[in-house]
Amino acid sequence: MMDANQSSRIRKRLTRWALNVALFIAMAIICLPGLWIVLNSLRPTVEIMAKPPVWIPRELNFDAYVAMFSGVGAGGIPVLDYFRNSIIIATTSTVIALAVGMAGGYAFARYRFRGKSGWFIGLMLTRTVPGIALSLPLFFLYARLGIIDTHFGLILAYVAMNVPFTIWLIDGFFRQVPKDLSEAAQIDGCTRWQAFWRVEFPLARPGIASAGIFAFLTAWNEFALASQLTRSTNSKTLPVGLLDYTAEFTIDWRGMCALAVVMIVPALLLTYAVQKHLVSGLTSGAIKG
Amino acid sequence: MTYSAKLAALLGGSLLAGMAAAQDLPGSFDGVTVQAKLIGGQQYEALYARINEWQEATGATVEVISKKNHFELDREIKSDIATGQLGWCVGSNHSSFAPQYPGIYQDLRALLPEDALSGFVPATLDAATLDDRLVMLPRAQFDVSAVYYQKSLYEDEANKTAFEEEYGYPLAPPDTWDQLADQAKFFADPPDFYGTQYAGKEEAIAGRFYEILKANGGEFLNADGEPAFNSDAGVAALQWFVDLYAANAVPNGVPNYLWDDLGQGFASGTVAVNHDWPGWMGFFNDPESSKIAGNVGVAPPPKGSSGARSGWSGFHGFSVTEDCENPEAAASLVWFLTNEDSQKMESAAGPLPTRSAVWDHIIAEAEGDEYRSEALTAFQVAAEGAYPVPRSPSWIEMTNVVYPELQAAILGDKSAQEALDAAAEAATNVLMDAGEL
Amino acid sequence: MKPWRLPPHLLLLLPAVLILAAIVVIPLGLSLWSSFTPFRLTRPDTMYDFIGLRNYARLLGDAQFWSAFGRTVLLLTVALNLEMVLGLGLALLIERASRGQRILRTIMMFPMMFSPVLVGFQFKFMFNDNVGLVNNALQSLGLTDRAIPWLIDQNLAFISIMVAEIWSSTAVFAIFILAGLMAMPRDPLEAARVDGCTPWQTFRYVTWPFLMPFAFIAMTIRSLDVARAYDIIKIMTDGGPARRTEVLWTLISRTAYSDARMGMANAMAYIAILLSIAFTLIFFRQLSKARSQIAAEW
Repeated sequence: MMDANQSSRIRKRLTRWALNVALFIAMAIICLPGLWIVLNSLRPTVEIMAKPPVWIPRELNFDAYVAMFSGVGAGGIPVLDYFRNSIIIATTSTVIALAVGMAGGYAFARYRFRGKSGWFIGLMLTRTVPGIALSLPLFFLYARLGIIDTHFGLILAYVAMNVPFTIWLIDGFFRQVPKDLSEAAQIDGCTRWQAFWRVEFPLARPGIASAGIFAFLTAWNEFALASQLTRSTNSKTLPVGLLDYTAEFTIDWRGMCALAVVMIVPALLLTYAVQKHLVSGLTSGAIKG
Repeated sequence: MTYSAKLAALLGGSLLAGMAAAQDLPGSFDGVTVQAKLIGGQQYEALYARINEWQEATGATVEVISKKNHFELDREIKSDIATGQLGWCVGSNHSSFAPQYPGIYQDLRALLPEDALSGFVPATLDAATLDDRLVMLPRAQFDVSAVYYQKSLYEDEANKTAFEEEYGYPLAPPDTWDQLADQAKFFADPPDFYGTQYAGKEEAIAGRFYEILKANGGEFLNADGEPAFNSDAGVAALQWFVDLYAANAVPNGVPNYLWDDLGQGFASGTVAVNHDWPGWMGFFNDPESSKIAGNVGVAPPPKGSSGARSGWSGFHGFSVTEDCENPEAAASLVWFLTNEDSQKMESAAGPLPTRSAVWDHIIAEAEGDEYRSEALTAFQVAAEGAYPVPRSPSWIEMTNVVYPELQAAILGDKSAQEALDAAAEAATNVLMDAGEL
Repeated sequence: MKPWRLPPHLLLLLPAVLILAAIVVIPLGLSLWSSFTPFRLTRPDTMYDFIGLRNYARLLGDAQFWSAFGRTVLLLTVALNLEMVLGLGLALLIERASRGQRILRTIMMFPMMFSPVLVGFQFKFMFNDNVGLVNNALQSLGLTDRAIPWLIDQNLAFISIMVAEIWSSTAVFAIFILAGLMAMPRDPLEAARVDGCTPWQTFRYVTWPFLMPFAFIAMTIRSLDVARAYDIIKIMTDGGPARRTEVLWTLISRTAYSDARMGMANAMAYIAILLSIAFTLIFFRQLSKARSQIAAEW
């Protein structure tokens, strides 16, 4: 009896140990490419390309970052402009996509109407269109409207990209908020609008947060449309800016890594801040949808 | 500026007149705005900084409405053509892409006085002339390749004896493509060290194939404009790539390499010989970026079986659109960005100029710098025999069907003849679809 | 104030419908038209030559197109399934960790911060045969003395692309499944334990059915968004060498811009759209099935 207990305890400990190792390895695989980018941004090209490889860096410096901000002629790229464009475009498009998605999601969650599931699937399917089929007609349209190379144009495109998914998540959320609550509030003298703001919206907040982070990351990282619809520092975003480090014959790998770090850090901070909402948000959104 | 003015003052009248004309062109364009689409990249920024000078001299304003790398810019210009958005004035252009943009750019000979063009290397202006229209002014970004090699390998006595024993001729920097292949096989020691390397995809490999084909006496398109590269000369050219790959004398990743991989690979010190572009001249000899700095030699491009040197070349330039509202102002800007001062500045960093006077200038500058002198001499030889790609609007599209077949031969999926026959058939279809045949 | 005149649901849906119509549906109409023409970017007039179904007819007999099509389906099927399995594993591991949840979850989402272009550059470089991280590591550890041609060999190139794609997208599955795990009621698990189920049985008959809708929703979202993989493949191999990794997106974009044959490219794109619609509908079906099952049990 004693023995059995002991061996099962040992087995349990072993399993736990093995699972922790597995977790560690998984985390390492996820992190390594990122760390490698950070490392490469800090060391000279000759060491990045070295053969035999240099595993322990001999020289670390911030030259690439200094160069990036040094302005034209000194290896600089207009990184501040790109950063500003990316922030404005990603944030604004996320906010609008959330507003539009909330309206749409609320409609799907709270109203019965004919062809509802058809509408729903139809909206979702707009997302399946590959960017390449859209790029030229969109360019044509934008050129006619004069919104090529503007924040507005890119924001509009990203809103369209993110709306289907936001509707989906938020719809699931509103469904989960009991209808009675809003009805009770209306009996208490609230208008429907007030009932929405004061009762339903706060309850759905985690879902909105999770839809928001997905939308933000999509807009922050999008490349294909941005490369077609932007042209100059007026609206170029960071992913498009990455290509400033490629020329006809060369790639400045270190500079590209440094810019990558600049791109990743804000996204990482934001995710860290909202990840709690994110997980709990997806939870109910997905099931009840 | 003041220096050259003083110099001019010291010199005689006729030369003074010529120089004054050269300096004077910008003209006065008060209140005019010129929209420009420029190729982006750090190395070009120094030249673009000069735009300010032109603005001050002419009173015009330049609005840079797009700055992208060449492939992105190509996409954008094609989108502009498709949607009729060609109201901008100045565009970056490249000899390989230029034939694809039919009729959107003005003839600069009509816009600029004769003597404004007299300083350019005539062959380059010819290469920039399509259908009798000078569609761009070449800047000091002229590209033709030469052979870079690690000097120490060729100076090593043990290497010399071993090589001569094996191949029956003394070891020296390669003068023919066959010698380059021999030496590459001799030096290769995979996976740590390779004899040579080549770019294995897209226009890059199609272009290299094209120049070896020409050096072997073959032609890409025959007199009737039909693909003719599946000739014996073509098979021999493709076999050169195939043999090196099969012998492991090149890294086995080359079918996915482009120019940057080649440059970085040679700079990492793991490749013996590298046929590459002038833009790398400084990079390879800079200890900051290259492990073989101080150990680099440069030789002219190799000869093929016909005795001719290969000389596939391309160059960047600036063009003026047909729809431009102020073509004179635009032409003045284009000229200014390719004038002597601009070219001196650009070529200081390595790229080759397209004006004879600037060639003299950089060769004089390089005096005392052994590496630079050697390199410039090699590139001058290369530039003398340089020729552009076939001037068909379908060139890029043809390369897109040809290169997968070249790769198939290199990887052993097909024989060289089979691959070239398939490629020629596909290229014929491309030309027929485009109405060129 | 009378808030709604129109039926309210229409009013609420209006912004979404308007934006999607403007940005997706109208352009899509234009590309549909151009797929019936020999439209070349560099010859705008060709947009008005109607040639009916000729582009489509040519595609039907085009072996290169269909092999790219087949490869795309294969890539999607394998990648999405592997991502789901790995995402499930990752979520299970993270869920049972007692400490550092916040950090672990953030790390888990780390790859989502990487723009697909960047993922492409990064993995292309890591899989470089000569100076790449992977070969360097293998050679330094003495595991091989060859330079493995990761991006060249038929199978290895496919695997390399898959690794990049899986690395960048597993997080999406992991998050949804993690969300599911956290929402899971504890009672059935307890009951299963009391009944003496093995951990595997508990997982198979209690946990997994509950997680299924989460997995499918992730699957649907990913299948809506698969063209993301284009950026990665474009930079890693661009379909090469010798068309060994050619997928629909690389073929379409080369035809559209490099070759400037937009009409033909749009015909290809329409066939690709049908493919993604099929994928999405399949997952929608499974999703609603799994959902109704859960709802019944809840």
